[in-house]
Amino acid sequence: MSRESKKKKWDDQEMDFKTFMSLMVVLIPLLLLSAEFAKIAIIDIKLPEGRGSQTMQKVKKPPKQDDENKLLLTTIITDSVLTLGAKNGFLPSLFYQEFHRYIAKDDQHDFTVKYDPSAAELPRHPKTGRLMEIYERYDIFLYSCDETYTDIHKCLYTKFGEMITDANSIARTNVGVGDTVYALTNPRRMIIVTDPAEEFELKPLSVYDELKNRLMKVKERFKDADDADNIIIAAENQVMYDKIIQIMDAARSADFPNISIAKLRG
Amino acid sequence: MAIKERGRIRKKRMSYHLNITSMMDMFTIILVFLLKMYSAEGSVLTNADNLILPNSISKKKPKEVNLQLAVTTDMILVDNQPVVPTDDARRIPQEDPDPSIIKLEEKLRSFYAQEEEMVKMGALNQVMGKVIIQVDKNIEFDVLFKIMNTCGKVGYNNMNFAVMERES
Repeated sequence: MSRESKKKKWDDQEMDFKTFMSLMVVLIPLLLLSAEFAKIAIIDIKLPEGRGSQTMQKVKKPPKQDDENKLLLTTIITDSVLTLGAKNGFLPSLFYQEFHRYIAKDDQHDFTVKYDPSAAELPRHPKTGRLMEIYERYDIFLYSCDETYTDIHKCLYTKFGEMITDANSIARTNVGVGDTVYALTNPRRMIIVTDPAEEFELKPLSVYDELKNRLMKVKERFKDADDADNIIIAAENQVMYDKIIQIMDAARSADFPNISIAKLRG
Repeated sequence: MAIKERGRIRKKRMSYHLNITSMMDMFTIILVFLLKMYSAEGSVLTNADNLILPNSISKKKPKEVNLQLAVTTDMILVDNQPVVPTDDARRIPQEDPDPSIIKLEEKLRSFYAQEEEMVKMGALNQVMGKVIIQVDKNIEFDVLFKIMNTCGKVGYNNMNFAVMERES
């Protein structure tokens, strides 16, 4: 008897959540709607103070006497070639072919076409023949090729999209069981091959990966230079912004955090 | 018989009782999570229409609210207000050693003056000269260069490029 009455008392004291519930039901969808799930990050570019607009031209001046221990590493990108140069010379150019990946807005059709710089208009949808919009261009791939622009170089990639090189940082196209290869991370990760077909995939060699590979080599060799953290990215007028960001990424992942931008005069 | 039935009904009414305490717990957690996410990054950068930022591996987050400069394929916007068509920037000859987009420069100068005013009043410690530049990934380098040059000329030397964090 006494137990029952206690229980009743308890029941009476229960809180009324209904109003709070309705508040939640409104608030949560509202916040979910306004939440942004695509994360925005930033890349820092600092120009030396006080020089303002002159900075970008000054970078291009020839090295002065006190620049002896400086590397003046420069990446030059034009619409068909990527070159890495320093004070003492240039590495062989990386010729590239450009491929654009589009995702159609209407039917989510995903296709990749070779970019033709001379074409006046954007490619058409392969099924409906509709002219694609520039906003539907999702990715720009630059694949390394030979100087006649016919052969696209291939390279092995891991499942995580890391390029495979040998001990001398040269891209590998085939591996055997028991070989020691290196994945392009910073620092390089050593892999002893056990199952080549399962572990690696032969893909076109991206120039950004090759650039990162070379930059890491340069960094290793010239880490004593006064400006070992600096890199200059020089671009031609028509080069798309996306490529510059990708080069910056390659530079930063190869430990060149101080990036300056210069312009190539045509 | 009748008594029995009545008893059963009463019992039923007692046992049918929605227990929403666990749901409330869940809701509270979701609410807190969403509010936190919202306050962490929602308001620092706003995205303009038709502006696709390039993907990058950068993990650095925009912290404080800065001047925003957005460059789409057809308009240049300062703090979400259209200032000058991008074609105006394209029209400046490429040989110009010190190119400057006049309308943009004027606008930036007024913002810079505001910042200096705030320093005088003591609201800021120093003029930061910081600007976040959101550039559409299809913009050519020429336009970017002219904009950077204009910013540098006014005194905005501390430039940040906004990018999308790569999902991986």
